[in-house]
Amino acid sequence: MLSRAALLSGQNSKVLVALCRTTASSATNNAAASAQSSAPTFQRPVRQEPGKVRHGFIPEEWFQAFYSKTGVTGPYTFAFTLSTYLLSKEIYVLEHEYYTGLSLLVMWIYGIKKLGPKLAGYLDKSVDDYEKEWNSSRVEQKEAYETQVKDEEKAQWSVEGQTLLIQAKRENVALQLEANYRERLLNAYQAVKNRLDFQVEKTNAERRIAQKNLVEYVVARVKSSITADQEKQNINKCIADLALLAKA
Amino acid sequence: MVTIGQYPPEYDPKIHGPYDPARFYGKPDTPFGQVKLNEVGSWLARRNKSPQAIVGAISRAYWRWQHKYVQPKRAGIAPFLHIVFGSMTFFYILNYPRISHHKNYKYH
Repeated sequence: MLSRAALLSGQNSKVLVALCRTTASSATNNAAASAQSSAPTFQRPVRQEPGKVRHGFIPEEWFQAFYSKTGVTGPYTFAFTLSTYLLSKEIYVLEHEYYTGLSLLVMWIYGIKKLGPKLAGYLDKSVDDYEKEWNSSRVEQKEAYETQVKDEEKAQWSVEGQTLLIQAKRENVALQLEANYRERLLNAYQAVKNRLDFQVEKTNAERRIAQKNLVEYVVARVKSSITADQEKQNINKCIADLALLAKA
Repeated sequence: MVTIGQYPPEYDPKIHGPYDPARFYGKPDTPFGQVKLNEVGSWLARRNKSPQAIVGAISRAYWRWQHKYVQPKRAGIAPFLHIVFGSMTFFYILNYPRISHHKNYKYH
């Protein structure tokens, strides 16, 4: 349960991996310690490199054995003098098989020089292919594990990216909240202003209507207060004024 | 006790590891190349000349040759030529009594 919780929580995956590593390494350490107590004192035989030869088949060591006594021409001098001795005493007899051998030797040398490199190339290639065939599963397995490790590291890296992303998202949300708050603040301001404007308008309108009514009332009272006599006097006055104006 | 088909009595897998047919597991003596001339007699006297030991020595030499020239990954033509020239020499010596009749000169 604990491990599952740790896995789920993602953030602790590194800790879990580190824990696994420590346990694994301690296990290998224990194995190494137990193996060391019965460590083998021998060396396993390894496949040798081919022995060095001259002229295709004569071991290099035979030449080296001469060098300390006779110098580099020693082995050839020895071979030449020994063969002259054997031939002159007819210990080695030059019968018909010798000439057969000589012609065979020429043919062999020609064949080896002509076909040898091609055959060697073909055989080396087949040896390499054979070795590769045996190694391929191991190499491929290793590559697969390496890619898995790489993928795992990438996944961990992208998980770190997720934390950054979440942080960015949080910031984004905070910005949105801020914007929303400001918008609502503006809304509240507008609403209050509208209400106040309404009150102002209402007061103004009431005052206007009251003034109008007062003026109408005063005018009506004044009109009603004017009598017919006063009307007549007024008209007469007007006529007199007109007459005066006409005279002028 | 049957000794044919068995490992040498001195061979111990715990000490020597995997069996190497080219290796002598007994107590090593002075190599023949480092033996002084006046010690050759005693050196030869110390040798084990039983048939098993001779066969073992030939077998070790054969496996030494195998490991050096035949078994390497990129062995050349050398082992084949060894066999060719070796068999030439061997059969020449084998046929020498007959070949020596073909001598061309009476006096040397």
